[in-house]
Amino acid sequence: MKAYFSAFRMRWKMELQYRGAVIGGVLCQIFFGLVLVAVYRALYLGNPQTGMRLSNITTYVWLQQAFFRMLLSSDPELMDKIRTGGIAYELCRPVQLYGFYYARITAQKLMGSLLRAAPMLLFAALLPEGWGISLPASLPALLLAACGVMLGLLCVSAMECISMGFTMRTLDFRGVYALMNLLMATFAGNILPLTLFPDSWQRAITLLPYAQMLDTSIRLYTGAYALSQAPAALLIQAVWIVLLVSLGLALWARNQKKLIVQGG
Amino acid sequence: MSYIAVEALNKAFTVRKKREKGRLLREKSTVQALKDVSFSIEQGELVGYIGPNGAGKSTTVKILSGILTPDGGSVTVGSRVPWKERKEHVRHIGVVFGQRTQLWWDVPILDSFSLLKDIYRVPREAYEKRLEALTEALQLTDLLRTPLRLLSLGQRMRAELCGSLLHGPELLFLDEPTIGLDAVSKLALREFLQKENRENGTTILLTTHDMEDIAALCPRVMVLGHGQKLYDGALTDLLARYDTDRVMTVRLGGDLPPLPPCCQVQRDGENARITYSPEQLPTADLITLLQAAGPLREMTIQGQNVDRLIAAMYREMDL
Repeated sequence: MKAYFSAFRMRWKMELQYRGAVIGGVLCQIFFGLVLVAVYRALYLGNPQTGMRLSNITTYVWLQQAFFRMLLSSDPELMDKIRTGGIAYELCRPVQLYGFYYARITAQKLMGSLLRAAPMLLFAALLPEGWGISLPASLPALLLAACGVMLGLLCVSAMECISMGFTMRTLDFRGVYALMNLLMATFAGNILPLTLFPDSWQRAITLLPYAQMLDTSIRLYTGAYALSQAPAALLIQAVWIVLLVSLGLALWARNQKKLIVQGG
Repeated sequence: MSYIAVEALNKAFTVRKKREKGRLLREKSTVQALKDVSFSIEQGELVGYIGPNGAGKSTTVKILSGILTPDGGSVTVGSRVPWKERKEHVRHIGVVFGQRTQLWWDVPILDSFSLLKDIYRVPREAYEKRLEALTEALQLTDLLRTPLRLLSLGQRMRAELCGSLLHGPELLFLDEPTIGLDAVSKLALREFLQKENRENGTTILLTTHDMEDIAALCPRVMVLGHGQKLYDGALTDLLARYDTDRVMTVRLGGDLPPLPPCCQVQRDGENARITYSPEQLPTADLITLLQAAGPLREMTIQGQNVDRLIAAMYREMDL
């Protein structure tokens, strides 16, 4: 177990080395946040909507932008290892390969998003009402949302391990990742808040694994999910984690048997 | 039973070729990477594994280290079957792939080492002792806090080797470990490997194209070509078969006399390099010939360059 934790800590440390990337990422996400908020403001001012309050939508947008790094799939180093055969070394270790990579991916996503989320949420909190992020529905709601983010992290990492499993077969991550990122951006609520989809759609979409990654936590935060609905929401997340991890483990086990590291 | 026992090992790869014009499907062909390879290695041996590019050397190493599953044949390393008991097996081995890196690119190498410590569950005390011994022998002490990306190739190679030995493996696979190293680093590395083998009884299987490595390190060599084992024995015996020519470098007072056609002459300023076969023209006769033409100022006789011999051998074996 120590090995996996150690790998997690290493990747965590490494993320701290790229401070420039953090600043760049924060600026980029702030820009997108402002543009999106401006669009929804225009929509609401021109044609007042019933249902969702504007402040709920802007909160949704900012939380999505703040944790964007968590959703975005890319650990170029791991991809390179698969492409160039550096994975051969990993196979020479007395560890479970899936767990080892899972730990690394989780660390990268957690550290990467925490580093970006802190300054961004601060920025969004300073914006005037109707532009920025509002306070959580209640203190328990905030705590439940934090739990939700952690479960979402485990879920999104498991998803990325599955993409990686396919990459081991295709040897080029671009195709698989383009598809995965598109599905992710759409069904995780990054392009359009899931709360704005038609109700009948929402019932299906919120059950998909993508909604478990961030949408659930945001709804807990804003109070769109009442406290009484929270256990069910967290349970769905947990179920998806189990499903996705099992699927990933099976895929990797199959790959490992067939894996051929080519070249000298 | 031997420490490493390999019996009738077979492995084939399927290679897909580019589709030919007018054909619907790509053609597949199989490349037999290993054909009935058998050998055994005792504990504490230092064995060189040579052969031209694509002979199947790396394939063997990958199978022995549990990365690759063979199509047929049996392998045991210390009573373990590598690909079946991968996790248990790899705990006891160390691997250096000269072309790849196991250390983390952006973090100090000490951090990578400490991760390896946790992976192999090396107790702290043993780890610290081992690390100190290794960093001293490999001259890494000053580099421990430097990220890998800032190290030169030679420094990196030494760091890789250190990483592979931290858990004190009983068996070490080295796949071209001296690739790209300068003369000083090469000599230091060889010396270190000999010491590791002598003092800790580490069994070492060395794959390389650098014949100097083999000559300096390995009393025993195995030659592989087209996936088959062609020779297994002492390097000196192997060379003796092909090492029939001698090279005499001379500096003469006068002009070089005409020599029999079996001699090849190469001029190098005042010196002349004469390649001849002592069987056809005894050395004494050659010296007499030369002395007749003028005073013999300087003379050395050498065997042929090892690389040339190996090239001759590969040619003869039709590799």
